[in-house]
Amino acid sequence: MVKVFIRKIYAQVYGFLYYAGELSILFGQTVRCLLSTPLHPYRFLWQARRVGLGSVFIASLVGLSVGMIIALQMAYMMVKLSAEIYIPNVIAVSIARELGPVLTALIVAGRIGAGITAEIGTMVVTEQIDALRAFAVDPIRYLVAPRFLALVIMLPVLTLFAVIVGIFGGFLICFFKLSISAYMYWEMVKESLVIKDIVTGLTKTVFFGMIIAIVGCYEGLHVKGGADGVGASTTLAVVRSFILIILFDCLFTFVFYFLFNA
Amino acid sequence: MFEITNLYKTFDNLRVLNGLTLNIRDGETKVIIGRSGVGKSVLLKHIVGVIKPDSGSIKLDGVELTELSNKDYDQVRKNIGLVFQGGALFDSLNVAENVGFFLDEFTKLSGSQKQERVAHCLSLVKLKNAEEMMPAQLSGGMRKRVSLARALCMEPKIILYDEPTTGLDPVTADAINNLIIELRDRLKVTSVVVTHDMTAAYKVADSIAMIYHGQVIADGTPEDIRHSRHPVVKQFINGEATGPIADDESMKFGHVK
Repeated sequence: MVKVFIRKIYAQVYGFLYYAGELSILFGQTVRCLLSTPLHPYRFLWQARRVGLGSVFIASLVGLSVGMIIALQMAYMMVKLSAEIYIPNVIAVSIARELGPVLTALIVAGRIGAGITAEIGTMVVTEQIDALRAFAVDPIRYLVAPRFLALVIMLPVLTLFAVIVGIFGGFLICFFKLSISAYMYWEMVKESLVIKDIVTGLTKTVFFGMIIAIVGCYEGLHVKGGADGVGASTTLAVVRSFILIILFDCLFTFVFYFLFNA
Repeated sequence: MFEITNLYKTFDNLRVLNGLTLNIRDGETKVIIGRSGVGKSVLLKHIVGVIKPDSGSIKLDGVELTELSNKDYDQVRKNIGLVFQGGALFDSLNVAENVGFFLDEFTKLSGSQKQERVAHCLSLVKLKNAEEMMPAQLSGGMRKRVSLARALCMEPKIILYDEPTTGLDPVTADAINNLIIELRDRLKVTSVVVTHDMTAAYKVADSIAMIYHGQVIADGTPEDIRHSRHPVVKQFINGEATGPIADDESMKFGHVK
């Protein structure tokens, strides 16, 4: 019984380490590719457009909703303490440092990461990846590198947009429901939010972008079987991206808090 | 000249190539026949380096390909055109972009020169006015012809055809066969054609090899194969349902257990 349990734990740990190693290799190959050969600008711009423009509406919508929800939830407690004037501070800091980056990353992982896996997976199933290799074209240079760069650059931009819209969402509730004046709201936001908060949040999103791109591409490139395999890998890519984003967020929060006191 | 010696490949405990040995001379058209699943397409992918063998040797003009790095293999690949069984066209590119893919990636031809070459290759496979169509709009036969045009656009020294006439109407299939012969006669292209179509095999082949149980069991001129006394070869080329192939219980979907 104990042996079986230990064997299962060993298999899980081995599986995780193997997967982490595989992702690291793909990451290394992608970075090397980006540094060694110039990227086709059209391919990068196409992907950047897909990530940025394609997700800006849903990221804004979520940002707006989160800003409004935090304002209402805070109001529920702060009004009891007669401290509603601090609601803008809470909204600004929590959205800029935590909720904006994480929620935007999760949305993009669900929308773009899944799309990347499905697209590359279908290319595997229909032998298009083999065709690329047969044409002496490296699939990492052709497919992974532009998606990686697009996510690394566009996710912080999207997050910044979501943060601004989120703070505006909080303003709507504070102004119309809690009777906090516009001047007071924006002054409190400015007072509480320092550059360090923005940088902390956006730094995380660069890593989240890497996670979404590498996990999405890896799962796509390792699709087995037909449509069924593409579906399974797409689900796996989203789940694994979510888990890694949350784990890395936790790690970064610890690192920023304890090492940089940020 | 290709010298393939003792090639072994196993997928998930299923041995597909079982010590396969085959030679392909420069400028010849070698047709490879065999039941579905015996590893004919796998052999082509080994030649182009998309699949690595478990063991064995593939030499091209004396150079051991299995030991080349990916970067060095790329130089070899630029001289080999592969026509995929299902086309393997790039979904996101239209027909002209698919055909001109190699030119876009590796040449500095001007736009008009590329257009000209693409149009010429499409006319060779009897496809005109299809440049703007997307792969999803093409029939199976059209996809195969675009795939062939894409390989031709590279102007390769070696072309590997994976079932080039399967699914085509007889007229187009014959045009493709004529094209294979023309490429051999005019440009001295070495061709390896995987097919089930014995009519096409007899028409285009300089030599025919039959794969069975992951090995080459017969290799000779079309006449040698036509008059072969090997029971497996006889059953296959005559398309008979009964015989040693059907009786062989160690076969499972054409693979060696």
